Amino acid sequence: MSSLLRWLGAALLLAGAAFLLSDYHNDVYRKLLLWVTLALSYNFLFGICGQIAFSHFAFYGIGAYSVVIFLFQFHLPFPLAILLGIALCILFALAVAIPSARLEGFYLALATLALAQLFIVVLNEGGAVTGGPGGLANYKLPEFLGTRIRGPWYTAVIVLLLLGTLAVLWRLDRSWFGRACRAVRDNPEVAAAMGVDVARTKVTAFTLTSALAGIAGMVYAFVDNTVNPPIFGLDNAFLLLFMVIVGGAGRHAGAIIGAALLFLVPFVLSPLIGHHHVLVFGVLVVAAILLQPRGLVGLYDAIRRHP
Amino acid sequence: MPSAAILEVRGLTKRFGGLTAVSSLGFEVREGEILGMIGPNGAGKSTTFNLIAGTYAATQGEVRFAGEQILGLPPHRIAARGVMRTFQHNRPFGGMPVIDNVLVGAHTRFASGLWAVVGGRALREETQRRKRAAELIEFVGLGELPHADVATLSFGQGRLLEIARALAGEPRLLLFDEPAAGLTLAECERLAGIIRGIAARGIAVLLIEHDMHFLLPLAQRVAVLNFGVKIADGLPEQIRNHPAVLEAYLGSHAAA
Amino acid sequence: MQDFLELTVSAAASGCIYGLIALAYLLMIRPTGIINFAVGEWAMVGAFGGYLLLSKFEWPYPLGMAAVLVFMLVIGWLTERIAVRPLVERGAPLLAPILALLGMLVVFREAISVSFAPDPHPVPYALGIQRQSFFIIAVTSVVFIGVWLFFERTIAGKSFEAVAIHRRAAALMGINLSRVTALSFAAGAGAAGLAGLLVSPNVSAHYLMGVPLAIQGFTALVIGGVGRVEGALLGGLLLAFAEQLTVRYAPIPAGYAQGVPLLLLMLFLLLRPTGLLRAK
Ligand SMILES: Nc1ncnc2c1ncn2[C@@H]1O[C@H](COP(=O)(O)OP(=O)(O)OP(=O)(O)O)[C@@H](O)[C@H]1O
Ligand SMILES: [Mg+2]
Repeated sequence: MSSLLRWLGAALLLAGAAFLLSDYHNDVYRKLLLWVTLALSYNFLFGICGQIAFSHFAFYGIGAYSVVIFLFQFHLPFPLAILLGIALCILFALAVAIPSARLEGFYLALATLALAQLFIVVLNEGGAVTGGPGGLANYKLPEFLGTRIRGPWYTAVIVLLLLGTLAVLWRLDRSWFGRACRAVRDNPEVAAAMGVDVARTKVTAFTLTSALAGIAGMVYAFVDNTVNPPIFGLDNAFLLLFMVIVGGAGRHAGAIIGAALLFLVPFVLSPLIGHHHVLVFGVLVVAAILLQPRGLVGLYDAIRRHP
Repeated sequence: MPSAAILEVRGLTKRFGGLTAVSSLGFEVREGEILGMIGPNGAGKSTTFNLIAGTYAATQGEVRFAGEQILGLPPHRIAARGVMRTFQHNRPFGGMPVIDNVLVGAHTRFASGLWAVVGGRALREETQRRKRAAELIEFVGLGELPHADVATLSFGQGRLLEIARALAGEPRLLLFDEPAAGLTLAECERLAGIIRGIAARGIAVLLIEHDMHFLLPLAQRVAVLNFGVKIADGLPEQIRNHPAVLEAYLGSHAAA
Repeated sequence: MQDFLELTVSAAASGCIYGLIALAYLLMIRPTGIINFAVGEWAMVGAFGGYLLLSKFEWPYPLGMAAVLVFMLVIGWLTERIAVRPLVERGAPLLAPILALLGMLVVFREAISVSFAPDPHPVPYALGIQRQSFFIIAVTSVVFIGVWLFFERTIAGKSFEAVAIHRRAAALMGINLSRVTALSFAAGAGAAGLAGLLVSPNVSAHYLMGVPLAIQGFTALVIGGVGRVEGALLGGLLLAFAEQLTVRYAPIPAGYAQGVPLLLLMLFLLLRPTGLLRAK
């Protein structure tokens, strides 16, 4: 019961903040929440299950594009568009993960890199359906039960998305499934001897987290009310990886801190050094891996233990 | 009356390129029995375990568990049927505390599916399993350490964790690969007690051990391997003075 | 016919570029198991070296080329020193250096983008525009023959192979693992930098040229297989021909033709992950 109250409190606090912010700050806030959501699910895949994939942002894009295309190109009803979008993410995820899971090494990294690039090619060349390089714009969130959610209320929807994602991942992490994922990450051979179906665990984790990314993408589609190819490129896939590494892979708190930090740093640094903050990210990542492989949360733990 | 054999191995052979690590090996283990397996370094004992557990693919042969052929099944299926093992070198999952390591051993015993986990309906089972795991940790003698980081365990404690993790899978057959290696005398005595306790629960035990002083009082029967071939088997007292065993052992020890 | 010949020569030249990048991957993967996605950025650095020395300072080509090559060897060695060795010595999992190298990828790219204007920088042809393809093919042939001879005919090459097969056993045989690792990174950077220098007259040096090259390079590697040096070149050539033939003859829009190599990569990963050539 008390845990339910805590979730409720977090929801009220995070959503309530949106009503105090200006339009511009609301926009920044929404994107921050979306990055945190993505980092959380990516952390489950990379930090907890130990798989490197570069497709997380592509799935975010698949979710965003598919809901827009189903709604406004094919004129399907809203719930159906969402279900089909999720189904599409699951289908693509399975198609990549099942063959990759059979193989050792970094096949998933390569296959997902190819998938991410292929996705961009398809977006650019998709003609009227995807809108080509300019993407799709000038659509609005459909009315649902006679009302259209907007302004800070839409920010509240994103808060629900974030907390829902966190709740799902939290439960998964504290179950036989989460332990199986960690076991597969730490030592797949021993995991198999203990009864863990390694391939199946990898495929499930990949599919689940990819679907979560797709759902986040659907929510994103109505933040800017436009989707276009550059948003879903490789640069952001790398950034997501860097967020998780800098924050502390394998911990929810790490994903949250890393995403918030790397998302907000450019706002501080841009006036000083233009768009070269990416160079700072690169240095930060190398430094984190070399000096503090557990990331910022690990650093915090170490300081708390030996003040 | 002796109970039926739960594990039957026949004609088991494994070749690594030109090297025959295990050659036409045959033996059986009954429920509640402790079968000892000894042999000099490189005799093929660990390879035999890897074949039974499905980690290596056998070149030839037959392994029946509870009457069914298990050779060729993937390792996780074999574990699910109730064959659990410890490793010759401690191999804990470094990223989890002791109790979570033990819970991974119980992986195949969880009944709730993924939807139940996401929906929160698996929490009760999780709590129950956690309690059982704590009991197992207590049983092997790591009682104060369920939440310790595995990196902080001593070598001997790591050995005990291997055992608790294997027990958590509720095995009908337990494969121990040199559990006493590297333990102090006192630790060895405690370990012998634990292994006896496990067999007393009706679990079949296959026990690899170098140290005859540890093995012989514990095992009901002993098989001796050398160069992948079973050169003798019988009661511990027969093995102790078996000429082929003395030669294999003393010969190899003299050479080493 | 004339048209087809031209296509063959230009495809062979791009195939050589891909082959060199694939070789760079292979030189590092074989002994260390590390897949270094920063090879594309190394090629980019090589291209910018060409721009500086050959276009800006107008050095004679052979001298400039040699200087770029030496510079790349140093870059490779430094990269290994900074992002790989400390992790290997600490016994970190293989994933750690791979991720650190991804960080280095960004560092290289952004360092160049900070230092140079964002527009393309011209790099001169070695022997004029008509002969560039032949020059690329000739240089690549020399590199591959050299590397092949090194692995097949010299003791040092054999020790690389020994490390590739079993790191621990090789260490027991007295092979200096960290020297092999450092050399493999230096050589990888050399091959990648050369590829960048050779391709840059046609595409100009640009700070975003790295990632596409990196992807084409590992596609070539996956097609050829990591088992053998020749595989890298074979994979590169096959990839380049597949690309150019689809652009020229396939009835699909040119944009979609960009997807062909990616599809090829997926197909190989899914159906024949060991590549065409198996290790001996
Ligand atoms: N994966 C493998 N590949 C090649 N050879 C192997 C492999 N595993 C074991 N061997 C070889 O098979 C033989 C038997 O090894 P095994 O590990 O089964 O011996 P063991 O009886 O367990 O010895 P020890 O007492 O040292 O643990 C040895 O010669 C070993 O080198
Ligand atoms: Mg052994």
